[in-house]
Amino acid sequence: MFHGIDPRTPIPLYVQIAERVRLAIATGALGSAAPLPSVRQLASELRINPATVIQAYRDLEAQGFVEIRHGAGTFVRELAPGRRARERSHQAVALVRKLLAEARRSGVSVAELQRALETELGAKAT
Amino acid sequence: MSDAIHIERLHYRAGKTFEIQELDLHVPSGSIYGFLGPNGSGKTTTIRLILGLLRPLSGRITVLGLPMPEQHARVLAQIGYVPEQPHLDTTLTVRELIDFQAAFYPRWDRARAAELVERFELDGEHLFGRLSKGQKAKLMILLALAQRGDLLVLDEPTDGLDPVVRRDILSALVTYVSEHGATIFISSHLVHELERVCDWVAVMDEGRLITEAPMEKLKHGTKRLVVTGAPAEIVNPPFRLLTRESANGGGAGENWVVGDWEPGMTSYFESVGAAVRDVIDLDLEDGFVELLRSFRKGGAGR
Amino acid sequence: MIAMFRAVLYTQWKWSRLIVVLGTVAAFAIPLLSLQGAARADRGALQAQELLRAVQSWGTLYPLLATALGLLMAIAAWAADHRGRHIHALTLPIERWRYVLLRFGAGFVLLAAPIVAVLIGSSLAALTATLPPGLQSYPIALVVRFAFAVFVAYAVFFAVSAGTARTAGIILGVIAALILVQVVASIANLDLNLMNVAQTVLLLGPGPLAVFTGRWMLVDV
Repeated sequence: MFHGIDPRTPIPLYVQIAERVRLAIATGALGSAAPLPSVRQLASELRINPATVIQAYRDLEAQGFVEIRHGAGTFVRELAPGRRARERSHQAVALVRKLLAEARRSGVSVAELQRALETELGAKAT
Repeated sequence: MSDAIHIERLHYRAGKTFEIQELDLHVPSGSIYGFLGPNGSGKTTTIRLILGLLRPLSGRITVLGLPMPEQHARVLAQIGYVPEQPHLDTTLTVRELIDFQAAFYPRWDRARAAELVERFELDGEHLFGRLSKGQKAKLMILLALAQRGDLLVLDEPTDGLDPVVRRDILSALVTYVSEHGATIFISSHLVHELERVCDWVAVMDEGRLITEAPMEKLKHGTKRLVVTGAPAEIVNPPFRLLTRESANGGGAGENWVVGDWEPGMTSYFESVGAAVRDVIDLDLEDGFVELLRSFRKGGAGR
Repeated sequence: MIAMFRAVLYTQWKWSRLIVVLGTVAAFAIPLLSLQGAARADRGALQAQELLRAVQSWGTLYPLLATALGLLMAIAAWAADHRGRHIHALTLPIERWRYVLLRFGAGFVLLAAPIVAVLIGSSLAALTATLPPGLQSYPIALVVRFAFAVFVAYAVFFAVSAGTARTAGIILGVIAALILVQVVASIANLDLNLMNVAQTVLLLGPGPLAVFTGRWMLVDV
């Protein structure tokens, strides 16, 4: 879930971690009441500052996704069903934005992109 | 929250050529503080001054609230130190070195030492002189961690080690911080390792401290800008100008490297009749290189 | 403090055990060897002379052994520290002078072994020997003198090797200067005999080094 966290991109590490957790929650990989890895474990595994993990978890708590129980760990909150769907669509929008930005940078037009999308989807269906 | 290490206007000289001047350093308690700089910049000397191995000519060094080198015996009981070169006796075994160290530290954590011996796969009966470079480094880290001090001072702890050993060591350090809330002062030129783990960073060159800032600020505040139409002289910019040179092919404008950048600062350019065509992110290593270049040119950055 | 001393003693033992063991064996053997001729009962006044000569010549080994033990133990105490450029000892949570004292004490404890060996060896030799009339044995006096010699030798060499290379350099420098002055004086035909003066002051005078000179007699009149 946390592989590929990159300290070199301009996105702060704690934001990257929080994003991954939100994605996992949105897709259901992390179910309700599922435990998140402990601060110590995650920091040690990723070889990052524990304060970074703490910050990510705190942000997630502020956003209402998780609950930090002192002494017990951090757990995914019971989410309203609409919430998950909303989060998934946020993720979808973010993906599309990234794709469009890349396309713009490489000089691929929106029409070419759409054609490619249809071909790929069509190929998958058969 | 006080500083774990507080250095004020430090001045030190060794021989005719090497000098540390006007050094001010503040390591916040509980932080992981990275100390970067090229070889010969004075990092090891600064560390020796912090530990009371050397005496400054003037200035004040306060470690864990006590003055150094006057209170060195008391302070060193709280400091786990890993030097650049192995400093332990080559004729003693791993077990003997552990037992020796344990006798000097009242807070010695026997369980942690045993756990690390296993985790680092060290054999108690091996002579220190016969260990590989990586194993020596692991043992020195083990001793520093088992002392359970409030401050760890590490001088290039992973230099010259293979990636597997480096990971093991960093993991062990991070675990220690999670459990003890200790402060870690780590000097290195492996910028990428520091990038992941430090929340503060300082850069030293030629005996002077070039910058000291929270890691995020240094990393994300250092940018390369493509600028057109800027005047030759700029007055009081809100950012720190490190270097400024023309881009290839005249009309493309200039390449500026700036520090302490924040997104709203493009408005400054507008105010002087210039335009910022592009803002390019620099990772820590690039930022570090640019800082050094600018500092050495005696340049615009100061 | 006790735990620290034990740790220091352990490492000191590991570094010097060969010296201590060999020294103890030698210390035990010398008194016995010096009296080996005394077992025969049919001795007259002439044999007494012979015995005294044997005791005296074996006796020259005591100051040599004491000096060797002091020197080697002092070297063993500091060799590792010098190799590591003192960094390990200086970053221990203990003042330098305290650490020096612990090392000194540890060496001293270990040097008790050869001293006790002299005691046992000389007592044994004195008991099993049949001495010609008019001669007596002085094992206690011998042991005390040996102990003192070991202490002095160890203290002197320890002081030299505990210091920095600079201190050792100063001491050697002083000696070199004395020699140089002496040589120049001889060339200039000046009547200056520094070596004699130094010898008198250090060895013959009531100084601690006087313990090394003279005759070391287990058995005497």
